[in-house]
Amino acid sequence: MMGTLDCLTCHLCGQEHRRIHLEPGEKALCTRCDAVLEKGGRLGPDTALVFSVTGLTLSVPALLLPFVSASTLGNERISFLFTGVESLWSGGMPSLSVLVFVCGWLLPFALLSAFAILRAPARLGWQKSDLHPLSRAARVLERWAIPEVQVLAVLVGLMKLGDVVDITIGPGFWCYCAMAFSLLIARHSFDLDSTAALHDAGERDAAARP
Amino acid sequence: MSRLLARAGFRGTSSAAALALAAAVMLVPANLLPVLNTEYSGTNRSDTIFSGVVQLWRQGLWAIAAIVFTASILIPILKLAGLGWLLLSTRRGAFRNSRRLTRIYAILDFIGRWSMLDVFLAAFLTGLVQFGEFSTVVPQSGLIAFAAAVVLTVLSTQAFDPRVLWPTPAGSTS
Repeated sequence: MMGTLDCLTCHLCGQEHRRIHLEPGEKALCTRCDAVLEKGGRLGPDTALVFSVTGLTLSVPALLLPFVSASTLGNERISFLFTGVESLWSGGMPSLSVLVFVCGWLLPFALLSAFAILRAPARLGWQKSDLHPLSRAARVLERWAIPEVQVLAVLVGLMKLGDVVDITIGPGFWCYCAMAFSLLIARHSFDLDSTAALHDAGERDAAARP
Repeated sequence: MSRLLARAGFRGTSSAAALALAAAVMLVPANLLPVLNTEYSGTNRSDTIFSGVVQLWRQGLWAIAAIVFTASILIPILKLAGLGWLLLSTRRGAFRNSRRLTRIYAILDFIGRWSMLDVFLAAFLTGLVQFGEFSTVVPQSGLIAFAAAVVLTVLSTQAFDPRVLWPTPAGSTS
């Protein structure tokens, strides 16, 4: 299994490269299709772990604290992250309700957990067990974790409602935004492709470009 | 290589084509049926995706209208057209454009997720705007068709393996 550490397979075209050391700010590009293979981290090796733990911590208040409250003519309604999911469910659209919950909260949470589990053993000096199934699952599920889209949707919704009802943004929404941001950084600094690489080392060098 | 593909689950050009076709079919009811029903101080209106965008435009929220138009109408169409092009190129076996086609695949893969905007928006509005008889928002059947179309296009992108755009199997080129 030593070979997998020296090898970098392009996730787009499948070209294999021998891994080289990258300075901060440098990128390794695929020699065949120019896709970014790996980046020299500007923020240090622990970035993914730090931001995944931060994101995990924030995901709990994001779910439990008030998201947005709206009031009109003396009626006030406080909505939580889960309120929309619940309304879709009770409104006879259970499939959509599950989709919104899974893409908006469950998978971001799962992905952050996966990053933390994949990075923590090395940092804490524990015996490393075989985590390949986990990184491969994370690679497949990655594109379904889309909290940033939910953030944009809520902002669009707030603009839409702005002149009809009085809106107050609650702490839950801020926690959710921070969680989405943490996931973005953690995902950016965590290289799932090379972790999931299963091939033996190839011959070609990755072209390092500043 | 084949072991990796087998482990990755359903991958392959024909699965991708089938999923893209199903997505194209679902886009028809998604755009024709209403997605949201809004009741506000006695007036009731049903909006399709397009009339929702027009309504935002009329409210003077041009930027928001542009965002919703891009995410809900432009991206699904562009994505299906792009997938169709990639699938046809694979059939023709033309490897001259491998690099460009791979880049198109990467772009399609990135933009697809933003189509979920309308689904999240509907969930948010449905959850928040429930003021009894005064004002309510209720999702309509078009939303299910739209969500199905988005999910199917994402699955189609996931099933399509960009490696088929390249002439030689990976690893044997060195």
